[in-house]
Amino acid sequence: MRDVAIVSFAQAPSLAAVDKTETQMLYPVITSAIERSGLGRKDIGFTCSGSADYLAGAPFAFVSNLEATGAWPPISESHVEMDGAFALYEAWVRLQHGDVDVALVFSSGVSSRGNLREILCLQNDPYYLMPLWADHVSLAALQARALLDAGLAKESDLSEVAARARRNGQANPNAQVSGDVTADELLSEPYLVAPLRPSDCPPVSDGAAAVILVAGERARDVCERPAWIRGIDHRVDPHYPGVRDLSTSASAALAAANAGVADAPIEVAELAAAFSHEELILRDALGLGDDVDVNPSGGALVANPMMVSGLIRIGEAFRQINEKGKQRTLGHATSGPCLQQNLVCVLEADS
Amino acid sequence: MSEQGDVIKFMPQVISLDYIVRTAPVNAEFGRNMQAGRVTGHKCPQCARVYVPPKGFCPICVVETSKADEVPVTDRGVVTSWTVLTPIQYHGQNEREDYALASILLDGASGTIGQQRLLDVPLPEIRMGMRVEAVWAPEDKRNEDDGRGWGFGSAITGFKPTGEPDAGPEIYEEHQL
Repeated sequence: MRDVAIVSFAQAPSLAAVDKTETQMLYPVITSAIERSGLGRKDIGFTCSGSADYLAGAPFAFVSNLEATGAWPPISESHVEMDGAFALYEAWVRLQHGDVDVALVFSSGVSSRGNLREILCLQNDPYYLMPLWADHVSLAALQARALLDAGLAKESDLSEVAARARRNGQANPNAQVSGDVTADELLSEPYLVAPLRPSDCPPVSDGAAAVILVAGERARDVCERPAWIRGIDHRVDPHYPGVRDLSTSASAALAAANAGVADAPIEVAELAAAFSHEELILRDALGLGDDVDVNPSGGALVANPMMVSGLIRIGEAFRQINEKGKQRTLGHATSGPCLQQNLVCVLEADS
Repeated sequence: MSEQGDVIKFMPQVISLDYIVRTAPVNAEFGRNMQAGRVTGHKCPQCARVYVPPKGFCPICVVETSKADEVPVTDRGVVTSWTVLTPIQYHGQNEREDYALASILLDGASGTIGQQRLLDVPLPEIRMGMRVEAVWAPEDKRNEDDGRGWGFGSAITGFKPTGEPDAGPEIYEEHQL
């Protein structure tokens, strides 16, 4: 396999409602990621983006988004109707072909235009769950209940996760919610959808992010401390949540095994756990011990732009290596209800 | 099986999603000019292309544009492409007769504006290169919000032929959409 590294990352602050078009929101983020890489737009051999037109409510919204890349003369590009982390996976595969060395990955999501709990119903199967309007918060609550019923966690454990996310969010300028709160304070909240309280659920966010990937030695030329993609894999559980044991995540465990998570200690893990119980399920599935610093950014509980949250996790895992001197970190992304699909990306610094 | 014992073959399922699209400041500024009867664009300081409505940046040069780059554009132009639509009478359809939507290259703009209604012209007479001018709504009927965030609002109801000689293909051959 060809070694590929992340050399730069940029993100827009997560907002409840951005005051720009999606393309205008992307423009400074993509520009910043390219400038930070020290490379030029002409150096980029492949561009891949992740977004969902249902969020914007506009068909082919992803095509307008390309205007933010400066796509002239015509560029080689692709798009996934998924989180940008899966676009990063496609770009990583594309760089394995060997004919191009630099890839731009970006993603954006404007959830503020619609009702997310209605829109995300459309990702369910159209025969059984869609007619029930089984929304993602209610499905998440079913998963949280499965975890509690299995005796694997208590409600106070969920609040511990939520409180730590808010405390960590205080140091994250891109976080949408944050606060110096304790689990006990959050436990006193009324339920939103039992057993989940509002603090166990993510904010609805608008946001964008971009990453530059460089293959081979060139990554060291442009970046003082690149983060090498040592392992990356994504796996999917069955579409219908009713046939799964929701208290665990088989797909996350398989992706972690294939990405080589256990080959060496992980120092920091950024998990796309949008609901507090998801962090507990993922910690277990990924085999992360108590010594692993999970979501120092606050994670998806404090900023959750749809289609962007996973790419931000990988970007934050990159920052831990690039800016904070860590040696081995992990970024995770998910798609679908109840952690249906999971992507695991292991990053390493040069030793 | 239903309660009556019949086999269920079809199940109607009405799906409706509502969106609220806010108009970005750049587009709102354009919209205020439209309300006042003025079509404006942003001229790229690098390549001098004029964007109507403005995007806030030039996607070719990838440089930002702002109010300082605003230039007036006429409300007259050329049909570069068009489609005749035959309205299917689905729920909520307000159109009853065939009508045409066109892409129009305004004089002074570097790109077309799309989906503009053609007025006062028999459908078979529409052609590429046909010169048209805007039909403005009365000032008290100009709504700022077009629901799409573009900024056009409802200031222009459509475009009608001016009767001038057609523009040649050299004017529109680079503007098919």
